[in-house]
Amino acid sequence: MSTLPRTVFHVDMDAFFVSVEELFDPSLKGKAVVVGGQRHERGVVSAASYEARQFGVHSAMPLRTAAKLCPQAIFVDGHPDRYRACSEKAHKVLTSFSPQVEMVSIDEAYLDMTGTERLHGPPLLAAHKLHNRMKAETDLNCSIGIGASRLIAKVCSGKAKPNGVLYVIAGREARFLAPLDVREIPGVGKVTEQKLHSLGIRKVGDLAKFDDADLEHQFGKWGVALAGKARGEDAGAWFEGEIGADEAAKSISHEHTYDQDTANVAQLESTLMRLCEMVGRRLRENQLHARTFQLKLRYKDFTTITRAHSLDAPTQLDNEIFQQIHRLFHLNWRKGSEVRLLGVQASSFGESFAQLDFLEDHARGKWEHALSAVDRLRDKFGETSITLATGMKGGFRERTHENPAALPGKSKPSPS
Amino acid sequence: MPVEAIASSAIGTSTMEITISKFELLRELAATQGVVERKTTIPILSNYLFEAGGDRLSLTATDLDLSLRTSCNAKVKREGACTIPARKLHDYVKLLPDADITIKLLENHWVSIRCGRSNTKMVGMARSNFPSLPVFPTANVVKIPAQVLRGMIARTSFAIANEESRYTLNGALMVLKPESITMVATDGHRLAHVERSNEKFEGVSGELKTLVPKKAMDELRSLVDSTDVETIEFAKDDSTLFFRIGQRLLTSRQLTGQFPNFEAVLPKDNTRIISLHGEDLGAAIARVAQFADERSRAVRLKLEKGELKLSASSTETGESEDSIEVDYNGEPLTVGFNAQYIIDFLKAAGAGDVRLELKDSQSAGQLRPAESEDYKYRYIVMPMRI
Repeated sequence: MSTLPRTVFHVDMDAFFVSVEELFDPSLKGKAVVVGGQRHERGVVSAASYEARQFGVHSAMPLRTAAKLCPQAIFVDGHPDRYRACSEKAHKVLTSFSPQVEMVSIDEAYLDMTGTERLHGPPLLAAHKLHNRMKAETDLNCSIGIGASRLIAKVCSGKAKPNGVLYVIAGREARFLAPLDVREIPGVGKVTEQKLHSLGIRKVGDLAKFDDADLEHQFGKWGVALAGKARGEDAGAWFEGEIGADEAAKSISHEHTYDQDTANVAQLESTLMRLCEMVGRRLRENQLHARTFQLKLRYKDFTTITRAHSLDAPTQLDNEIFQQIHRLFHLNWRKGSEVRLLGVQASSFGESFAQLDFLEDHARGKWEHALSAVDRLRDKFGETSITLATGMKGGFRERTHENPAALPGKSKPSPS
Repeated sequence: MPVEAIASSAIGTSTMEITISKFELLRELAATQGVVERKTTIPILSNYLFEAGGDRLSLTATDLDLSLRTSCNAKVKREGACTIPARKLHDYVKLLPDADITIKLLENHWVSIRCGRSNTKMVGMARSNFPSLPVFPTANVVKIPAQVLRGMIARTSFAIANEESRYTLNGALMVLKPESITMVATDGHRLAHVERSNEKFEGVSGELKTLVPKKAMDELRSLVDSTDVETIEFAKDDSTLFFRIGQRLLTSRQLTGQFPNFEAVLPKDNTRIISLHGEDLGAAIARVAQFADERSRAVRLKLEKGELKLSASSTETGESEDSIEVDYNGEPLTVGFNAQYIIDFLKAAGAGDVRLELKDSQSAGQLRPAESEDYKYRYIVMPMRI
């Protein structure tokens, strides 16, 4: 990491999915809106408007719970295509401000703005320009946090919401963080929070008073990172990387939660096929070949297993993905047990040093051609316009989440 | 089904006492270790079945896919049978002095092993737990010269697939005709094909096609290597293959299913041909392969006028290039191969010149010994997309 103070922006779209839905249906404005599905459906909330959040609705909450908490809310199906399109527009705006942009999810990004003063002016002015430009280009509001680290920028954008800008100048980080609850530090989840509370640490300021060595003793390496975080530094795991340094995706996955748990083999296989198709489609879109495929299986009682298999040669073909997933499923599924959720993940992306095969290549070539035609049809007529027969009955709406749980700072419902 | 020959019902199972020379016993124990299941959930499969009758001791080991039965001279005081943990017995007998060993069945399937001043009791299992084994057929036995079969195995077995999903590729196809024997193995990426004509196989009319599992091939090879028997007797029934090598009988469960139509993949118009010393090619490939992508092992072969350039690179290790002078005047061509696949062939082909016959970067290449030998040997390898 560079030793010069950096200027990092964290740009977070305000209530992104809801705002996008409002673009298409302005009557939703100012109302309690829940995106993700209908009130009686299973599955979870993808996003909620600020009005709905006041009733305690937050993303990842079951839709039915949201309906109980906020009966007057308007429930809207998600439209992943719309969100992706808007996200791309936003991305374009961001890249016009800095070459170093890292989209961490569909609706938020880090920008390294270090050294752009001559072009964009001082940070607050640059943020103001960016904010206006975003509104002009996408018709959407965003909030911008500015700091010398990603962590500060991230916390700032949360505090700036909605539609605001907050800048913590270098050197003032500790004072800014001190009164905040430890839970507000990105990366601190329930478990760490409880452990910190048991040590009498409630505020970030308390944490900062602790010795690094003591924290290391309590939490191991994570403790060292925590100590750094309390000072506003980017410490630990992903936070240490350069912005935009490693933008390549590590995995691609799709999953589906059933409205009604099922043990029907045909239906389960059909869903798996559909998920494999979706994963294959994304692989081809990104020109990736994956070697490892993972099945995720959640039973009625929420016990969840994941099983993966790695191929000798990477692939991006739906049928080859399905072959692996199908096998993993039948090897691991407790026959007759009702399934709540299925997921398919592709990872270990590699160069396609594909070893050609004289027994299968003929068939493989045919698949390649067929799937590329399928992709073109989908580009033109939509994702569900064409599907493999096995996956036909597995059709379901794609769900997208604003806040993937795996990303730092995303393990809790957003407070704003 | 009862085991053949000496294990008849007339032999009581409650007693057995024999004396045997350590040297002879150890020789047979060593020969059969490969068949003993290493990590089995069925305990009896870790045991030998010992059966004593007449003046011989017969030993049997099986992992249910493969079984090996052998015998040696013994002074049989009381006929009978017992089972003994195979690995432990082998390890123990190795340590005994070169003298006679007395083996005696005790109560509760315990077995006493005495040799000189050494005295051990081993925990066995009931003989009745040992699986019954198929019986060597009396008809349609084909005699195959041991060294011929060995040569065929050495030239093909490395190309056998080790993939559950393509079950029929987990063995080699052996085709016997009255005057020739052919063996083919493939894993879909490469195919090894070897043929010997001018042989005589009595009892074969037309074509006798057999899928021989890889495990059986490997075992056969080591059995041939450890004896001076000249002829192997081969037979099969509906489910089992039998190979008799002297006093040893190897049986293997048959692979069922259709071996792929390999004739369709044998290249016909590979017109870019070079000839090189196998050793040179092998050494150059081994060198550049050090810098190949570890998983794919991809090396690039660039054929130009008068020169074959070999190269490999990976982001982790760097890049490497080698070149070999060749007699070539055609169009340049670049093609990628898995280094290991080429090295495997060169090892099997032995010393001498090899011909490399290519078509283009997407089609199968062919390698074969430049001078024809007794074995008509060809190796087809699919390129890698690089």
